[in-house]
Amino acid sequence: MILYYFIIAVVLSLSVLFVKNKYYTIIATSLFLLIQSLFTIYVVKNIGLVDLAYFSFDALGAIFLTLLTVISIASFYHGLKYFRNRITHRYFYYHAAFIGLITSITGAYLSNDATLVWILVEATTLTVSVLIYHEKTTYALEATWKYIFLCSIGIAFAYVGILFISLSGKGLSDLSFASIALSVTKVNPLYLKIAFVFVLIGYSTKMELFPMHTVGIDANSVSPTPIAALISTGLVNLGFLSIFRFYIALSSSSIFEWMNRIFILTGVLSLLVAAGYMLKAKHNKRMLAYSTLENMGLVAIAIGLGGQGYYAAILLVILHTLTKSSLFFQMGQVARTLHTFKLDECGGYMKRNPFGSGVLLLGMFVILAIPPSGIFVAEYMIVKSMITTHNWLLLTIVSLLLCFVIYAMSTRFMHILFSKSRIEESSPLVIKVSPWESLTQYIFLLTVISICFYRPPFLTDIISQCIAMLPK
Amino acid sequence: MLNFLLIAFAVTLVYISSAERFRTYAKLIAIQGVLIFTIAMVLLTEVNLGNLIFIAVETLVFKAILVPYFLFKVISKTKVYRVHNKALPSFYGLVLSLCALILSVYMANVLHNEFGSITFMTVCLFTLLVGIILIVTHKLIFSHTIGFLVIENGVFLLSVLIGTEMPLLINIGILLDVFVSVLILTIFANRIGSKFRDMGTENLTTLKH
Repeated sequence: MILYYFIIAVVLSLSVLFVKNKYYTIIATSLFLLIQSLFTIYVVKNIGLVDLAYFSFDALGAIFLTLLTVISIASFYHGLKYFRNRITHRYFYYHAAFIGLITSITGAYLSNDATLVWILVEATTLTVSVLIYHEKTTYALEATWKYIFLCSIGIAFAYVGILFISLSGKGLSDLSFASIALSVTKVNPLYLKIAFVFVLIGYSTKMELFPMHTVGIDANSVSPTPIAALISTGLVNLGFLSIFRFYIALSSSSIFEWMNRIFILTGVLSLLVAAGYMLKAKHNKRMLAYSTLENMGLVAIAIGLGGQGYYAAILLVILHTLTKSSLFFQMGQVARTLHTFKLDECGGYMKRNPFGSGVLLLGMFVILAIPPSGIFVAEYMIVKSMITTHNWLLLTIVSLLLCFVIYAMSTRFMHILFSKSRIEESSPLVIKVSPWESLTQYIFLLTVISICFYRPPFLTDIISQCIAMLPK
Repeated sequence: MLNFLLIAFAVTLVYISSAERFRTYAKLIAIQGVLIFTIAMVLLTEVNLGNLIFIAVETLVFKAILVPYFLFKVISKTKVYRVHNKALPSFYGLVLSLCALILSVYMANVLHNEFGSITFMTVCLFTLLVGIILIVTHKLIFSHTIGFLVIENGVFLLSVLIGTEMPLLINIGILLDVFVSVLILTIFANRIGSKFRDMGTENLTTLKH
């Protein structure tokens, strides 16, 4: 089945480039998203199936694929709005790369082989670069260059990590995650430690985690908002999944505790950087990108704590995906209404677009884990894990840094919403945005809020399946 | 023979750490391509013929001819011939590279296993470190690209080490080479080069805060 999926996706992507017709592009992309949805249903219904030997439909892949499909549909819809009143000469490249990006992320989510994941992550770099460079400005060029250069270094590092796993002992027949998990108990742990560090650094370019977080932040700040939403959710989840699969594979080795400590260190440093830069943020999309860094820092800390932390980490990634995409989509509407992404020039959004302002206000509470946000549940579990494991110092540092984040984000959101507007009410620049455009964002945010009150059994079951292979 | 090639490769790394002219960089990258080709041919005797031809073509045509050719073209197009005046002086570059060499020798001794000799592992690690040093201590995008190409060569050498056991890994290394060379060098030459004439990284600092 996955082979047909890949063939159709490649054909549709290439046809968009060759036909170069606006209506055909919309039909082809819609058709692709329909196929993507059907394929996602197929994967969810066939968990446990192995396809083409290199792809396994497991719980982890199924969760993230479902999220990707949902976000892709919303991103396509907002992309159409983004292109309204714009020159569409790069319309075809945008949609061809969009299909390519989703296809490569899908493949990477489902791959059971370390080398294939690596190849597909490389493919995401190629496709997403086209999307980052979409507006062809000097800023876009700078961000694209940095993205390609740093991601290429990251990819090379991840590859060195894979090579070190291969060099760790002669018992390894192939590089599937299952084979790695079987062999790690018999090999030199020093090789595994080096391999893990390289993999973590390498894929942190995609996960937007310290130390290679800068690449994602620049990319988010210049790419079109529907793409920024996709980068900070689908692509970030890919980075998380790539690292997490290695972590699971190496969890039966003697370096397990050491990996946990590295995760906590990386997480704290990510939080520190996020809190520091968020206080200085003067660009709406950069602020959201630093919020991604903060959330991924918390995810890393949760994994490092182990036990209940695993559950919290997966839950946080799921809820972050829905929340952050909503906020990015809404920032697109903010920019269309106020004609800027610069924080200093924003203001009066509540007057201009009350329905959209509701998304920003609700989104602020949700992303900052203020009850009744579902993220509160995940963060509560992380704090509980810190207390039960007597990590008091860590708890103090994390709490302090989260206070900075809450202060920085809430003051900026309030400024956008309520401070005096730069544009006069009678100005011809004033553009009305339809309230319907915010509907998907309300649905996403209300879903996240509902998790605070009720966690459906299928969600708990599937997360439990994801972490079943990890030590208790 | 192998040890001679490896030492020659290490010498090019020391030279690259202290070089200041871009043409010298391009020449050294070409020499490294030829050396990598020879090392792969000496070491990969048990790999099947098709794979061997693929590796030979990639190392000789791509690494030793096409990439250096492209680098020379970029130098002519941008008319930037030397490293940035704020770059680390070559003497300190040399000292840093020697520190990297000592660290590599130590690490190779610690990591020694049945896959390859200590010398081989030392050169692999040294290559990776020199690449990183070049990126960190230089200001121009051209030097960064050279640093990345050196890292690429180090990754390729590492994959050759495991090549007899897992030939697939060399092919993937080649994929990385082709991907990066095409993508980075194309953007580098056609876009960055024409937009920012002096190609200093200080031009690429507008995306802050």
